Amino acid sequence: MTSSKDIYGDARPETSLDPSERLRFMSSHTVTRADTCISCGMCESLCPYGVHKRVEGHARILLPDDRKCIGPSCSVNYFFCVANCPTKSLSITPSDNLRSLGDARWSADMVLATWKMAETAEPMALDDPANCGLSGGGFDELRFVLPSRTPRYDPEDISFSVELNRRGTGEKITLPVPFYGGGMSFGSISVHTMLARLKAAKTWGTFTCTGEGGYPALLTPFEDNIVIQIATGLFGVREETIQRSRIVEFKYAQGAKPGLGGHLLGDKNTPDVARMREAVPYTSLFSPFPFHSVYSVEDHKKHLDWALAINPKAILSVKVSTPSDVDMVSVGSYYAGAHIVHLDGGYGGTGAAPEIAKKNIAMPIEYAIPKVHRFLEAEGIRDKITLIASGGIRTALDVAKAIALGADGVVIGTSELVALGCVRCGNCESGRGCPRGIATTDPELERLNTPDWGAERLDNLYTAWWLQWCELLARLGMKDISELCGRTDLLRYRDRPAKEVGR
Amino acid sequence: MSETRPPERPRWVEAEGGCGVVGLASSAQIAGRHIHGPLVQMHNRGNGKGGGVAAVGLSPEQMRVTRKTLDESYLIQVAYLRRKVRTALEDECINPFFKVERKYKVETSTDDALLKRFDVRPPDVWRYFCRVKDEVLDRFIRSGGLEDVPRAKAEDEFVYQNSFKVNHKYYAGKEMQAFVMSHGRNMMVLKIVGYAEDVISYYKLEDVKAHVWIGHQRYPTKGRVWHPGGAHPFVGLDEALVHNGDFANYHAVTEYLAQRNIAPLFLTDTEVSVLLFDLLNRTYEYPLEYIIEALAPTTERDFELLPEQKKKVYRAIQATHMHGSPDGPWFFIIGRNSHYERRFQLVGITDTSMLRPQVFALVDGDVQIGLIASEKQAIDSTLDSISKEHPSVPKYADKYWNARGGSHNYGGAFVFSLHAEEGSGDMRLISTNKFGTVVAAPHRGWDRADDLALAEPLRKASSEGSYAADIIERKGAEPSFKAFVRSLKDASGDEVNSLFAGMISYAQKGDSQREEMLQLLTLVLDRRYDTGRIRRSRLVQKATEALDATLRTSSRVEKNERSVFQLLDIKSRRKLRPPESPYDKLVVDCKGFPMEGEDGVSFVIVRARELGWNQAIVFGAQGQRFIGCGLGPRTKGFRMDVYGSPGDYLASGLDGAEMRVHTNGQDQLGQILADGKLVVYGDVGQTFLYGGKGGESYIMGNAAGRPLINAVGRPKVVINGTCLDYLAESFMAGNPLYGGGFAVVNGVAFDGKGDLEELPEPYPGGNLFSLASGGAIYIRDPRKLVGEDQLNGGRISRLTDADWNLILPHLKENEKLFGISVDKFLLKVDGVKKCPEDVYRKIEAVPMITLSGKTQMQDLGE
Repeated sequence: MTSSKDIYGDARPETSLDPSERLRFMSSHTVTRADTCISCGMCESLCPYGVHKRVEGHARILLPDDRKCIGPSCSVNYFFCVANCPTKSLSITPSDNLRSLGDARWSADMVLATWKMAETAEPMALDDPANCGLSGGGFDELRFVLPSRTPRYDPEDISFSVELNRRGTGEKITLPVPFYGGGMSFGSISVHTMLARLKAAKTWGTFTCTGEGGYPALLTPFEDNIVIQIATGLFGVREETIQRSRIVEFKYAQGAKPGLGGHLLGDKNTPDVARMREAVPYTSLFSPFPFHSVYSVEDHKKHLDWALAINPKAILSVKVSTPSDVDMVSVGSYYAGAHIVHLDGGYGGTGAAPEIAKKNIAMPIEYAIPKVHRFLEAEGIRDKITLIASGGIRTALDVAKAIALGADGVVIGTSELVALGCVRCGNCESGRGCPRGIATTDPELERLNTPDWGAERLDNLYTAWWLQWCELLARLGMKDISELCGRTDLLRYRDRPAKEVGR
Repeated sequence: MSETRPPERPRWVEAEGGCGVVGLASSAQIAGRHIHGPLVQMHNRGNGKGGGVAAVGLSPEQMRVTRKTLDESYLIQVAYLRRKVRTALEDECINPFFKVERKYKVETSTDDALLKRFDVRPPDVWRYFCRVKDEVLDRFIRSGGLEDVPRAKAEDEFVYQNSFKVNHKYYAGKEMQAFVMSHGRNMMVLKIVGYAEDVISYYKLEDVKAHVWIGHQRYPTKGRVWHPGGAHPFVGLDEALVHNGDFANYHAVTEYLAQRNIAPLFLTDTEVSVLLFDLLNRTYEYPLEYIIEALAPTTERDFELLPEQKKKVYRAIQATHMHGSPDGPWFFIIGRNSHYERRFQLVGITDTSMLRPQVFALVDGDVQIGLIASEKQAIDSTLDSISKEHPSVPKYADKYWNARGGSHNYGGAFVFSLHAEEGSGDMRLISTNKFGTVVAAPHRGWDRADDLALAEPLRKASSEGSYAADIIERKGAEPSFKAFVRSLKDASGDEVNSLFAGMISYAQKGDSQREEMLQLLTLVLDRRYDTGRIRRSRLVQKATEALDATLRTSSRVEKNERSVFQLLDIKSRRKLRPPESPYDKLVVDCKGFPMEGEDGVSFVIVRARELGWNQAIVFGAQGQRFIGCGLGPRTKGFRMDVYGSPGDYLASGLDGAEMRVHTNGQDQLGQILADGKLVVYGDVGQTFLYGGKGGESYIMGNAAGRPLINAVGRPKVVINGTCLDYLAESFMAGNPLYGGGFAVVNGVAFDGKGDLEELPEPYPGGNLFSLASGGAIYIRDPRKLVGEDQLNGGRISRLTDADWNLILPHLKENEKLFGISVDKFLLKVDGVKKCPEDVYRKIEAVPMITLSGKTQMQDLGE
């Protein structure tokens, strides 16, 4: 087997193997060895995946490593262990763990695949079903039309950089990769998680957003990679944080819960968080909706001008959800002085939102992106503003699809948490609810992860994605990710292969 | 009643942004150039994609018709985007139906510089003064079954329908060729794709006189289809409406209109608003009060507090028209020729949640003026301009106020009505609220002759009379000020004029004299006192002029002369240098500075602070925004004094510095204010201290809507007036007794004579301390008028000694700043001194299920 190293040469970023102790038992299949096993070693000699391992001198063969097993589909192979076992001691069944893992949008396969990428940095094949979820909508229903042959290519020649500032004003910032991290506040996630995201962002030369509520001093070394958020509660917003940030994000709305401000329920408002936000510990903190100083587009301009009055070099991003007039909102934001319009669709976070608000409101992001892209084009300002999409972008192919629909880049969030071991249990809003210590501020739980381990897992995930994009662009004959922008002709609905998406 | 409905459904809807709006109604005719100034100042509230003005109550000479024709004929103005269609349109829609008494093309400017500014060429506008031909009207009445309708109203309807047909055929069809801009009597609208001030220049309206003007800077967000028909104002029949805001329920309102066979053609929510107004006015023939109620219904607590009779009527109106009532942020200004009542009117209507900024103002005297605008500085700019032509008009209004939408006391809407006085025929202005109660300017005892004498320009080299010398030469500003106040009992306008002139020349003698005069003038501006025969607004005007002159004669910063006062203005703004001594004061003349951006005043102050200045005096502000922003953390020891009309976001983000505002504040003052001290000698606008985190703030007057919303940490605030609504929503400022924050609301005001009086209610709004989890409100409420029905989650509790000890130092500081005595006034009720717990009440947070630690929100969905 050729390793990817041979293909990509030295361009591939350094990665390391970062297994997670707690994810070891998560597998698609359970391989059971009955007591009738005689430890003959037949299975070990047959299985090319390394499920079975017999150590010379041990009385018994080791327990099967389920995660390497490809499942009952192996039965077509001559080396299928179950069929070849002389004592018929082996059986393969779907894993119990698997059944409880994931949901339609984040299918169990996708979670497992993300974990695998975070552990090994090996990319998924572009036709792997785990690239898509099972939701029956959104990105899951979109497919790229790809030439079947992959030409030889040099990843060095492929550019993924995205220009964030296309206006004449403010600092020029170019991202080497088409993504940055979405807003997750101190309070919603642990400080270790924040550090892990920032360390990875720094390695990759991109950014991550600290969400509403300011950020603890521990994060100051990563200032150059922080996007500060001004959200409707104005929690933790101080002049110095605006002055120190290169990108200021105005969170007008969140795709997961348009019409609502941020929520931090009492359990998570620990004394540390409360001190940061200067609020009362253990009370629920609800940000209002909308900004009470902004009720029109000219207020919106004034609001952006305010940030510029504090930091004239800042790049301004306007994060909005996707109402039916999102196209006009985007144009209005451009005229108000925004550098980035950030469309947040409804498929994404947030764990902390009230159940009733999740995924029930606003336009699907895959409709909003082309709508805004084309509207900006018609307006003649598409090349003057950066269009960023977010909300349920889970995999490398989701990123590529969002770009093909018309975005310049994306913001990711949940996939990073999954890389850190999130099992998508959805208990994010409770104080001690996170079994992985990711979305918690509990001092005990947050010690379940270390920032360095987390950063390496994220490095691995980004590497795997990057390799997937390299292959995708090579197959499409492109050298630059910007060539993909707006190419809806390359996308087809899964069940309607003839129809171009968004037309 | 429109007989045709366009076959096509709305093709697009223009998203209307907020905008800059201004309106005035004056008993004397005002020339168009006076509305030019405020529109230029509100340039940043538009984006040049639509501007327009309306004028009501025109002059027959300027319109080149007789008085009778002007009063009785319809003034139809048709805008021709394509010149060629004029003959066809006239032959089809004008000549067959109308007796045209006069027609001509509206003159336009040929100024090349102006023309170059337009992306889209403004249309040619033709004016037609006409009446419907008798036989045409007869036929119309017969065919439409309008025999029961008075003939005059049938004529109105004919004109209206005819214009609709013109617009439908020539504008809303395939191609935009021409449309009717206005068709009312004695009123007109002109609008373009461009800035509103350019309308005045292009159509040469500088000298055109009218009693009522409204102007509008538009900020649409829709793409390149900008067209003059989409600009404001929009017309009904005899009224023009401008709108600042954006409905959330445009489609619902359109459906409501569709059920009444009314179809919009220009597809903006403003057009829909005026269609609603026209429907309620002409078809349902509602009086103005009911029209206002139908548009902005009285709800919740305010509704409950209405008299029974009113409730009955309002309930019926709401039941019928609720679906047509615009929802969301909006503010209407309507200029109107109420033809059948023989009145010109200017109406301002606020939405029930008062989500848009609005300021009303009133000037009394020989020329009476009512004004409405998005920002106070636009009003001041208008008056400044008018006062140059009409010396009897002061540069500041006699009264400024904000409206609380849907208020049970005044309805959130005000009407300025002009009618000809019996006998003389002179126009007089009456301002009333929604319910018809007259709103008067305070202190009407001033003398007209003294006012005009004081209005004279300040003499340059004054022969300082004994009166002036007596006041000026006292030791210190405070004794001089006391002498000044005493002297006002019988001072004449001439004397006060010479006093101000004397102050200016006295200030030239040296730094300490300049300092003394600055302090004296500041006291004159800051404090409230009986002004005797002198009109307060005029006094403010002249004191401001004297202050400006005193400061403008400081040594200039680029000259490096040894003086404590160093003047920096627009010309020398790049010559800012470090101070020579830590006591030096940088004097910034705001005149000519842009409203925002890196060349703005706020950056001058930031640079000054970086260079080591410890004091800045900012004067002559004309709406400049963000003053005091960007200073960054830890600015203790830096002090700013602001005079004039500063703009929004003043003192936002202050972190240690001190700022004194010797005038009213605008909107968004002290957003995220972290530490320091903010003193406002006047009122403050919307969302004061939004997300505030600390510091001490003292407000002499009222705070409009949403003060202290989402404030956290330890802000300590004293508001001497009241707040309109939503005070301290989501307040999260800990426990005030253990270092948290609080707001004291005194609910008092100065009357016209400078005496303090209790307001009718200490807090009129229906929402107080909603969803707050920390902090407290201490409200002066000896008559126990604040009720639990105003709270949403908080509770009213007894004031303890600990509470009183906490707020007393702040009330003492308040006394020092504004002269509002704790012992002599605040603690006295009906002349009897009471103990604090009988006067003040505490509103504090209670643990609520919605805010407690349990994840109860989940229950909603599961």
